[in-house]
Amino acid sequence: MSALTTQLKETPGALIECDDDPEAVYELLCAKGWSDGLPVIPPTPERVERMLGFCDRDLDQPVVRIPPRFGAATPVRVAANAVMAGCKPEYFPLVLLALEALAEEQYNLYGTQATTHPCTPMLIFNGPVAREVGLNSGHNVMGNYHRANAAIGRAVRLALVNIGAAIPGTGDMATAGTPAKFTFCVAENEAANPWQPLHVELGYPAEASTVTVVAAEGPHNVNDHESLSAEGILTMIAGTMATTGSNNAYYASQPVLAFGPEHAATVASGGFSKAQVKQWLFDHATIPMSRWSPDNIARRFRRRQAEQYANAPLDTPIHMWAKPDDLIVIVAGGAGKHSQYVPTFGVTRAATRALKRADGTLVKSVQELKRA
Amino acid sequence: MGKIFLVVPDAPAEDVAQLKSERTLSDKGIRLGVLDNSKGNADHLLQMIIDGVKKEFKVESVVMTRKPFSSKPATDEVLDKLTKEADLVVSAMAD
Repeated sequence: MSALTTQLKETPGALIECDDDPEAVYELLCAKGWSDGLPVIPPTPERVERMLGFCDRDLDQPVVRIPPRFGAATPVRVAANAVMAGCKPEYFPLVLLALEALAEEQYNLYGTQATTHPCTPMLIFNGPVAREVGLNSGHNVMGNYHRANAAIGRAVRLALVNIGAAIPGTGDMATAGTPAKFTFCVAENEAANPWQPLHVELGYPAEASTVTVVAAEGPHNVNDHESLSAEGILTMIAGTMATTGSNNAYYASQPVLAFGPEHAATVASGGFSKAQVKQWLFDHATIPMSRWSPDNIARRFRRRQAEQYANAPLDTPIHMWAKPDDLIVIVAGGAGKHSQYVPTFGVTRAATRALKRADGTLVKSVQELKRA
Repeated sequence: MGKIFLVVPDAPAEDVAQLKSERTLSDKGIRLGVLDNSKGNADHLLQMIIDGVKKEFKVESVVMTRKPFSSKPATDEVLDKLTKEADLVVSAMAD
């Protein structure tokens, strides 16, 4: 018996006994509420210990506390969730990194966990470790199939539910939620990006491996097979962004535009920098105030944002986010004439963290974190 | 069938200090605190509650406070004000 197994057996409540049968494990975990509804890998102590083979932290010290329960996310507990999700051990540092980013105050994890809004963490990975562990940045980047994307995002979600108690109807009050709550994890397609990748734009060196977390709705497609110019593609994107039901029209939050590589190439070849893309879309993704219902005009705009709109005419253009640079622009996906717009929650800001060793140096390969 | 152990993937709730109120109401009446969480109709609901309390009880004062956003905690200043100026506080969630 390993030292960890012995330690867990001596810790009240750390282990639970179950029939050695996959269906029995599934039934037990669902009955306990430790679930996203899908089958899981049984989190046996042996599997959890293997998961912790890529962790340089104290195993029983909380990495973060996860609201609304503010449960202590120790590496052992997070590893149990990572096992359940189907993670390989080398994915584990990225799961911890994402949880640390989510715990940054600006993200407002408490609010995003408990809200009625259908938001969930969108994990955007950049840098060499994303490529090393096989995170998909190409075809079907926001869809199914690729294990690293599926399992890392799922592990984070399971930790939010199991450790944080984001349980529908009590800790997670989402009216309808979103399918993205099973997993929403992408890598930026840096090779197809005509501009700086997101982490470099944010000031990190290209060799850093980072995660950027965004409190996202599900993605909304922008189909444009016809436009031959940058302005044409941006016009179609602006039209998709401009919707009256979006939180982003009211709050200073940061929606995401994930250019498909072909759209990005056309826009860049038209002479647009990333900053110019943001400015152009800020200027053009607008809706006249008259498109909102009279009650929304009276309460959302004239009363709550009285300084700007108390006496504004009904044709006043409403921008879809507060400042041009608040739009997060990445390149993701494979061939095809599609891009994705990802609206977000209201009171939240994206958070980015780089993968580092305990001594603070950047991790260039996940193998650096393997326990001796 | 054999048995296996599973590592429990959840976590207990954080220990929270339990405060016992030793407040006593003065003869002047209740000092009522109100925390508007900034949801769309919270102010309407709270006003109804204030009016109802005033009908049933003697109220010395009402201190109105508001969170800037419903999804963020009240500021320390707001909590300090309510602690000093209110005997009890009513908050509201309404949309």
